[in-house]
Amino acid sequence: MSTVTEPFVHPALFYGTTEEYLAGCLAFVREGLERGEPVAVAVPSHNLRLIEAALGEDAGRVRFLDMQQAGRNPGRIIPGVLRAFADAHPDAPRVRLIGEPIWAGRSETEYPACAQHEALINHAFTGREVSILCPYDTTRLDERSLADAYVTHPVVIDGSGRREESPAYDPDGLVARYNLPLPEAAGGIRLTYEYDADSLPTARHRSVAEAAQMGLAGERLDDFALIVAELTTNSVVHGGGRGTLRLWSEDGSLVCEVRDAGLLTDPLAGRRPAGRDQIGGRGLLTVNLLADLVRMHTVGYGTTIRVYLELPAA
Amino acid sequence: MHSQERTAAAAGPTAATAAPYLAVHPLPEGDGVRLSGEVGLVTRSVWTDVLAGAVRARRCAYVLDLAGVAFVDVAGAEALAAAADRLGTGRRIVLHNPPRTLVRVLEMYWPGLPGIEVPTS
Repeated sequence: MSTVTEPFVHPALFYGTTEEYLAGCLAFVREGLERGEPVAVAVPSHNLRLIEAALGEDAGRVRFLDMQQAGRNPGRIIPGVLRAFADAHPDAPRVRLIGEPIWAGRSETEYPACAQHEALINHAFTGREVSILCPYDTTRLDERSLADAYVTHPVVIDGSGRREESPAYDPDGLVARYNLPLPEAAGGIRLTYEYDADSLPTARHRSVAEAAQMGLAGERLDDFALIVAELTTNSVVHGGGRGTLRLWSEDGSLVCEVRDAGLLTDPLAGRRPAGRDQIGGRGLLTVNLLADLVRMHTVGYGTTIRVYLELPAA
Repeated sequence: MHSQERTAAAAGPTAATAAPYLAVHPLPEGDGVRLSGEVGLVTRSVWTDVLAGAVRARRCAYVLDLAGVAFVDVAGAEALAAAADRLGTGRRIVLHNPPRTLVRVLEMYWPGLPGIEVPTS
C-alpha cells in the first residue's frame, strides 16, 4: 500500500548545550551538502559563528544569515529569508534551511509574532521539497516557548538525536490562540488621525513629521513613509474605506497603529514573496519586509495592525 | 494626449489638508512629461495614463520628470515596472529626480530593470 507523504519537513531541535546544538545542526547541514542540496543557515549571530567555525571548509558551500537582522521582524522571515532562499533554487531536488527565530531575549511584545511565524511556516511550504530545522535553546527559553514548539512542529528532535512525533501539533490552533487583543499603548499618544481616501497623503505627512520629531531619520524615515502609505491605503481599499492611525513611542521604538473595519482572512497575507511580474499583493509584504516588528489582531468587527520601528538612541 | 494638463482632484492642494493630486505637464518636443503632486490610490488613474502614454510614445527614451513628485506608493512603482516591461528591447523610461521612496521600492522588487534609467546627476 502506498501512502502520500508530505514532502515538507519541519522538525524542531531541542538543545541544552553547545555540543548538542552543533551535533544536531551539523548533521542536518552535512546531510544536505552530501546530497548536493542548497543549504542556508539563519540563526542568531553567536550561533552563526559556532556553526561556521565547526563546518570548516564546508562553510563555503552554505549561505549564512544573521537571524537577529534578517529575521528581526518574525513576519519578514518567510518571505525575506526562507522562501527567498528556497525560491532561488527552483531546480534543486530539495532545499534545506536552519531557521532559529526564537532566542532568549525576544520580548513579550515580539513573542506572539514569533510563535505565529513558526506555525505559518507549515502553510507556507506545504507540498514543497523543503526541510527547515528550527533549534530551540532548552536551557534559556521559557516553558511556554518550548511547549509552543510542540504545537508548531510536527516532529521534535532532542539533544541525543531522538526524533519524536509531536502529539500536540496544531499550527492553526496556535495562530488563533495568539490572535490577541493588543495591550493599551504604553506611551503617550503623539498623533491620532482618522483618514479616508482623500486624506491618505495628509495621514502620511503628519505621521512622517511626527516620526521625524521622535528622531527617525534618513532611510528609516523613508521606510516609515512607505509603511504608513501601505497600511492606510489597505484600510481604504479593504477595510471599509477609512481607518484610524495612532503614533506613540514604547521601549525605544516608534509604534504606528492602524485600525479599520477590515477582516484579514488569509493567514499568509504579507508573507508570500512577490514575483517580478505579479500585480498586487505587495502592500503588507512591504510592511513586513521593512518593519522591525508587526503585530496584528483581527476579528469580525475589524483589524488592528501595529508596526514597530526602532528609534536611534538619543 | 500631452497637449492638455490633467489633475486627479478637482480641488488643488490647500494649506490644511492637501487633497491628493497629480498634475501632468508635457515636456517640449514630446520628450516626456513633468509631474507634480504624488502617486497614490486617488491619483492612480492619472499615473497609469501617463505610463500608457510613455509606452505608446515609441521613443527610445521617454522622460518622467519627478522633481515635483513627493511620493510614489508601492502600487505606483508596480505600475511603472509593468510599463517598463512593455517597452521592448532598447527602449526605456528615464526618471529625473525620482523620490527616494520610489528608488527604494524599485530596488526592493525590481533590481536592474532594463526599461528604467535613473541618471545619477
